[in-house]
Amino acid sequence: MEINFVINGEKRTEYAAAETRALDLLREDLNLTGTKEGCGKGECGACTILLDGKPVCSCLLPAPKLEGCSIVTIEGLKGDDGGLHPIQQAFLDAGAIQCGFCTPGMILSAKALLDNNPAPETAEIETALSGNICRCTGYGKIIEAVQLAAERMRVAK
Amino acid sequence: MTDKNSDMNLKVVGKPAVKVDGLELVTGRAKFSGDMRFPGMVYGYAARAGVPAGKLKSVDVTGALEAEGVLAVLTAESLPGPNLMGILPPFDQPVLAADEIRYAGESVAFVVARTKRAARLASKLVKIEIEEYAPVLTTEEALKTGARKIHPDGNITYTRKLIKGDVEAGFADADLVVENDYETSFQEHAYIEPESVCAVPSGDNRVTVYASCQSPYHLRSHIAANIGLPHTKVKVIQAYTGGSFGGKDDAAAEIGILAAAAAVKLQRPVMVAHDREESIIGTNLRHAMKIHYKTGLKKDGTITARKAELVLDGGAYASESPFVVMKALIHAAGPYIIPNVMIESTAVYTNKTYSGAFRGFGVPQVTFAGETQLQEAADRLGLDPLDIRMKNALKPGEATATSQVLNESVGIRQTIECVQKRANEISVETYEDERYLYGTGYASMLQGISNGAEGIDVVGASVQMSQDGSVLVGAGLTELGQGARTVLAQIAAEVLGVPVERVTARLADTDSVHDSGPTVASRTTTTGGMAVYKAANEVKNSLLQMAALMFKTEAENIVLKEGFAVLVFDDSARIPISDVATAAYWTGFPLMNMAFSRAPDAEYDHDTHQGRIYIAYNFGTHMMRIRIDKSTGRVEVLNHVASHDVGKVINPLGLTGQVEGASLIGFGLGHMEKIEYDGGIIRNPNFADYAVPTIMDRIPTEVIAVEEATVNGPYGAKGVGEPPVAGATAAFANAVADAVGCRFRKIPVTREDILAAIRSAERQGE
Repeated sequence: MEINFVINGEKRTEYAAAETRALDLLREDLNLTGTKEGCGKGECGACTILLDGKPVCSCLLPAPKLEGCSIVTIEGLKGDDGGLHPIQQAFLDAGAIQCGFCTPGMILSAKALLDNNPAPETAEIETALSGNICRCTGYGKIIEAVQLAAERMRVAK
Repeated sequence: MTDKNSDMNLKVVGKPAVKVDGLELVTGRAKFSGDMRFPGMVYGYAARAGVPAGKLKSVDVTGALEAEGVLAVLTAESLPGPNLMGILPPFDQPVLAADEIRYAGESVAFVVARTKRAARLASKLVKIEIEEYAPVLTTEEALKTGARKIHPDGNITYTRKLIKGDVEAGFADADLVVENDYETSFQEHAYIEPESVCAVPSGDNRVTVYASCQSPYHLRSHIAANIGLPHTKVKVIQAYTGGSFGGKDDAAAEIGILAAAAAVKLQRPVMVAHDREESIIGTNLRHAMKIHYKTGLKKDGTITARKAELVLDGGAYASESPFVVMKALIHAAGPYIIPNVMIESTAVYTNKTYSGAFRGFGVPQVTFAGETQLQEAADRLGLDPLDIRMKNALKPGEATATSQVLNESVGIRQTIECVQKRANEISVETYEDERYLYGTGYASMLQGISNGAEGIDVVGASVQMSQDGSVLVGAGLTELGQGARTVLAQIAAEVLGVPVERVTARLADTDSVHDSGPTVASRTTTTGGMAVYKAANEVKNSLLQMAALMFKTEAENIVLKEGFAVLVFDDSARIPISDVATAAYWTGFPLMNMAFSRAPDAEYDHDTHQGRIYIAYNFGTHMMRIRIDKSTGRVEVLNHVASHDVGKVINPLGLTGQVEGASLIGFGLGHMEKIEYDGGIIRNPNFADYAVPTIMDRIPTEVIAVEEATVNGPYGAKGVGEPPVAGATAAFANAVADAVGCRFRKIPVTREDILAAIRSAERQGE
């Protein structure tokens, strides 16, 4: 079936079977492989995308549900100057990445948080990222990265 | 290579470095093997046994072959080679089950189809006829006389002894003897990227395998043998690897072999990307262990003897069990001076998913038992937890349990002092609290760095400088997220006097450097770093010789720094490295070097494990303060201090990341994670039922590095990837015992266990 949506700021029309997962449409048809599959059951958050600004697991989302929506994947994330988004930069600077497989989903969940709450408390960061599992870092540096990004984004404004 | 005097001048080593491969990871551009795309690529999916034990009567693939999109179905007979894999010959594990089923997650057939979905659906159509046996599910059952043999030679996979002094005399000499049984559970690696490979036939009778893997050469030899090609016809290129922790060491072999076999047969690229459930039921776990442990002490806390019997549940196949048996054996007595030690360590086959390498490699389990028992002894003798550890701690000139005299790089005492200092600084909240129980736990540990008793420890590395002064580093060891590429780049940058941004440390490729063995045993920084250090110094020599000609002076009057060749007696006399490199090229000096580092060999008696085994040890001491909500059993970690002797910190940012991450895995092992079996079937093969720590469970790890340099590591560095797991597990177990007031001898100690203990104590109090 035909599905119309905006992906990373660009209008697209794609055709997919009704049972296709949004994750597969992104990874296989659009070659947006920055969105990862870690469990296929919505339990790890590696496949997180932003759907009209909200973080969702694309492995649980049927592709037809993308109809009329605006989607951001990690490939669409940019800073105001066209370079790295402040969250991406903060993840680098704080050492919040190890293997990097959870990173795209983690960064997008953080973006959804900071877009709505520019000065989150630690507990709010924890809640926002509680659906994204990281096995490498122990999470401390991820919290630091989100705080660092929030601070830099507030200063920039 | 330790040169303490030059430390002051280090420009790159010891300074925080942002991950050199971080940019591609934050932008999603890094290609993990599941992200590879090749024209005509098809997908493989295994049909699994589904029952834990039985005779494999027949495998009927006709239904699967007729299914939509299916191109081929491989069975044991389809493989040209021996259909065997493992770590130590003779290998005991078939790639696809042939005659017998030994665990429920075992692969029996491999379906290749145009899409992964089609392959998965068709895998259900493979008809597997099994005459079921009663599964052997516990180590006790497996060791019983007359037990059904899981393998022809019986159910003992591997058994070894460590004997030092006279342990019975040591106990006779003791004022207190503590003796208990301990138990640990299977733990899943739970890297967020499940195992994945992509095999591409390259049209020159070779096959290239892009793999999420830890040991590319091991993978190459296994693929080649099983598809009937010389090793050098197979090229393994490490893809970006989404975590490994030991799990993608030998476990990558199965899918690597199957994908390559199908790729050669079909002459098409074949991708295999495990589902999460396949990753849990099909590939290795941390060994569950049963430990009988006995410690004898004098009244003043001096340990006179330690004795332990370790039984490791190895599951269906040997995998890394023999090496884990040895590592657990060597580390079971802890980081102490003990005159009399006797350890027996045995891995046993059962009809369960096979156990293998997992960060810590047997050390967390024995450290939990040993440190829990030492704490129990301290409590009974009325001794301070850190005092008793200090009293017995190793020091230079003293011998380990293997009678290896350590003359340098023994920082255990300093780690205890660091933890003591922090413990004094941390304000202790009131323990009179209606709602909470408070507890503090301590643990000290050691972990051998390098392959040690597992065999020769060699690494190949290449360093080349281009005419523009940029540097390319290649090593046979892999980046798994731990920051290996960054550390190796830093070492090359330090030697060559360039900023780390000018160095590219590439992913491993078996065509390009010497077989470097597996990326295990916390050896990459130490032995891998040494190879890069050597290669970079050869290139440096060329640059210095060239610069000497350009400056019309001697090479010893020149240093390389900040991207320049600089005269030592005139800091303003500088030539850009790129000019020197260009001139060196045109003058004919070599700008590339392949170096080989070989750690000193282990020398020990194989019957008693007495001798020199590891080239260095990482030592650590942890403290964990927790509080427990009495009404719910919920644990909150208030403080966690982890002090490790790492020889020399190469990258402080990477170091803290390694200690924090490893500690949370240790906390998971101690508190949360448990593979649950029911009749040989894993009942929680997903993240909803298997509790991997989330951000809500994180612990506030504080890292304190001690730097007691080793001559065997670059700038004195020792690895740190594994050791904190053991420290955190054992410190947690002691903290929870301190809080609740009773000993827990089985981990994980879950929230439910804690609540039950509190309720039981309350009932006894009434």
